Amino acid sequence: MNHEIISRYIRQPVQLPDALRARIELTWDAEPIQLYALADLDHSLRLGESWMALGEGHVAVARPASSGAWDIESIERTRIRGVQLSPGLSANMLILVGEPNEQPLAMVRYTQRQRGAFENIRFVLEEALAGRTVTPAPADADRVYADAVARPVRDAQALVAGRESTVILRLLGYLAPYRREVTIGLGAAALVTLASLVPPYLAGFLLDRVVRPAQGGALGRGEAARLAWLAVGAMAALYIVRQAAAHVRLRLMSVLGEWVARDLRSELYSHIQRLSLSFFSRKKTGSLITRVTADTDRLWEFIAFGVVDVSLSVVMLLGLGAVLLTLDWRLGLIMTLPVPLFCWMIYWHGESLNARFIRAWRKWSRLTDVLGDTIPGIRVVKAFNQETREIGRFVDRNDAVTDEFNQIHRMWTTFWPVLMFAVHTTTVLVWVFAVPRLLGSGHPLSAGVFVSFLLYTTMFVAPIEVIGQMVRTINRATSSAHRVFEVLDSEPEVRDIPDPVRLSPVRGRVEFENVTFAYDGVRQILRGVSFVVEPGELIGLVGPSGGGKSTVVSLVARFYDATGGAVRIDGVDIRTLDTGHYREQIGIVLQDPYLFHGTVLDNIRYGLPSASLGAVVAAAKAANAHDFICKLGQGYDTVVGERGHTLSGGERQRISIARAILHNPRILILDEATSSVDTETERQIQEALERLITGRTVFAIAHRLSTLRRASRLFVIEKGRLAEAGTHRELLGKPNGIYRRLYELQLQLQ
Amino acid sequence: MTALEIEREEESEVVRLRTAPDGRLLAITERGPVPVRVRQCFPWSEPHRHLSLRDTEEKEIALVDDPASLGAASREALERALAEAGFVLEVTRVESIEEEVEIRQWRVETRHGPRSFQTHLDDWPRTLPSGGLLIRDVAGDLYRLTVTELDKRSRDLLWAFVD
Repeated sequence: MNHEIISRYIRQPVQLPDALRARIELTWDAEPIQLYALADLDHSLRLGESWMALGEGHVAVARPASSGAWDIESIERTRIRGVQLSPGLSANMLILVGEPNEQPLAMVRYTQRQRGAFENIRFVLEEALAGRTVTPAPADADRVYADAVARPVRDAQALVAGRESTVILRLLGYLAPYRREVTIGLGAAALVTLASLVPPYLAGFLLDRVVRPAQGGALGRGEAARLAWLAVGAMAALYIVRQAAAHVRLRLMSVLGEWVARDLRSELYSHIQRLSLSFFSRKKTGSLITRVTADTDRLWEFIAFGVVDVSLSVVMLLGLGAVLLTLDWRLGLIMTLPVPLFCWMIYWHGESLNARFIRAWRKWSRLTDVLGDTIPGIRVVKAFNQETREIGRFVDRNDAVTDEFNQIHRMWTTFWPVLMFAVHTTTVLVWVFAVPRLLGSGHPLSAGVFVSFLLYTTMFVAPIEVIGQMVRTINRATSSAHRVFEVLDSEPEVRDIPDPVRLSPVRGRVEFENVTFAYDGVRQILRGVSFVVEPGELIGLVGPSGGGKSTVVSLVARFYDATGGAVRIDGVDIRTLDTGHYREQIGIVLQDPYLFHGTVLDNIRYGLPSASLGAVVAAAKAANAHDFICKLGQGYDTVVGERGHTLSGGERQRISIARAILHNPRILILDEATSSVDTETERQIQEALERLITGRTVFAIAHRLSTLRRASRLFVIEKGRLAEAGTHRELLGKPNGIYRRLYELQLQLQ
Repeated sequence: MTALEIEREEESEVVRLRTAPDGRLLAITERGPVPVRVRQCFPWSEPHRHLSLRDTEEKEIALVDDPASLGAASREALERALAEAGFVLEVTRVESIEEEVEIRQWRVETRHGPRSFQTHLDDWPRTLPSGGLLIRDVAGDLYRLTVTELDKRSRDLLWAFVD
């Protein structure tokens, strides 16, 4: 997929040219290339193609020579003393620095598009300079490069837009379980179409075969009446059949559309629940919600009406054309020849409106920006007395939006009367050619055929309109289908093996053996972390932000799998465990606890819905939450708003602790659980936590080191490594220790 | 300019700057020449003033409010570095703008060569204080264009994105 993105959208080489790779590796005595990146700016900032390649002992920079070959400059990695990055707005410069006072060993310039690939090279070089060896596998070089270059597009559009027909076929595959309903629905729709074609014919028949012969005396009154009533009866029966079929078609296809939309929504939501956390860090929440709601709704519309309307309109137009040409080919040609032109006019109108709509949406988005800014930030607006200015900003943008939409209204209100005038012109033309023939000059034309003809012409407009808008209908549906299939096609990164191990219960021994972890496969967030935590130990994780503390606990909770080494729970590799069963025995209390929309009771019982009310109260008491819950208007049955906003931070935190206590986890993770509350609340939470941690293995992340005074051991995680480990006293005893420095800094601040 | 005049000019500078043989900008400090990079405080509002000079650790060495206050040699070195720091792709022609699922695909000709790039559908071009449009692609690259300087076809294609 990355190759497809690069060649289709980015239009740069999908990999290092083979000949260049061979030449570089030859220069390096067959040492394989581990990583490479494209430097797409030359020294004069023109777009071009140079390459930087990294091997175990060398770096090479290849620039195009005037002869069409490559100038390759190879540098031994032992000469590199530093790697400097000079970032700009769109031009970055990577400099490999040698000895002081020496010219830089290499300088390459590149746009932001190549940044990921160059960051990989920079990371490996910097690690080597720090005495740590990272050895990317040469076999992965192409994949790593393609992944880095394609990632921004892939994050924006994870599924490369395939052929529309493939997407539509896949979408129609969701109709497979409802074959019977689809067949009946399509049959009913076909019946409606066919039945629509008969009444004009009957009208002509009545006029030519009954009325006129009866008026001329060629047909007896009795026989004429019999035939007339037969025709009227047939007409009535046809209308009944037609409306019955229309009812069946509308009912079945609407319901069917809802079933398909329901199936898609359920499949989508179930799939989203199974996806790994990395997927959610790439996608915006709003975008995922839209896919489950608006996109599936749009697909309902397409299946319920689009599929049938489009196919039947084609059938209707072909049928009408055939009937008209059969009735009278001369008049038929007048009516049918302009049809492609009308369809094209509608298509062209749609395309013209499209640019208008983009403009209108842009202005609409500027209008909603004002709302999105000022409503959540209303306190700031008021505090700075900016209401008048904000009203002015809104009014200006509101006027601009209105102007654009009025332009759109002017366009369509002009177009449709013009189109209808063109259709009526063809009808007038039919009259112009038909009237002399009705009066006896030229090829004879019966009044009945003429009346049938006129009735058929009125039926032309609706299918022309549907076919003219077909492109837009299909585009909208495929776009929504793409967005839905993109999620469905994303694979969870954490998956259970067949017959996974179930630890009942988890004892709580956690072992990290030389664990490495990288979100993108190259830049390591954890670098060879090893430790053993015995059941019941309270481990405090401390260290600078971004050092890797949260990654350690994410691996314990198996939100991700380690990229190297092993994480073992009670001696069993975590990758072989039944993830769901294992997570039932893990509890997490986060810095910003998340409460779902529902009652306090629902939130406490979230992990254990069958818990008794007594157990809920006991958990709340242990969490120091019982008192404030009782003071709420409706006690435990009080509904807390979205994200629990009706409660203070400390109250939400204590409810989340009660939730964890009730869940009774064997391994507990506390991620900055007390960092955003006042001293009194912190004391109450600390008390609650002390009750919670008893008898469990606990990993507690905290910046305020005083909150970890009860920790059995402290792990200092810095730059992805376990830099120090020991008790508070042991770590303070290290003269130049990181923990000691952090502790002293905090003491000074107090 | 006499040697004395140059010396006086340099004495009044907030910082002395030179271009290294390899093209990097050097600030002449008490510790000797230090490689620095230029950060524009206002890349769109006032791109040629209020320039922050930072060392490789991103520590500010000097803030040049107005390059005119520097000596000729420093000014020349600074302007050269500024061209690189403020580099964005200048669009000279728009070949096509197509909408696909989730992204808008642009094909353009720039002063620096042809380029294809993608923007999010809801990521609209930004109007710059000095006029012109600024487009940011999904990778973070910036594209600047002055609509009035483009040919008619480019202007037609851009019509929906310009006020």
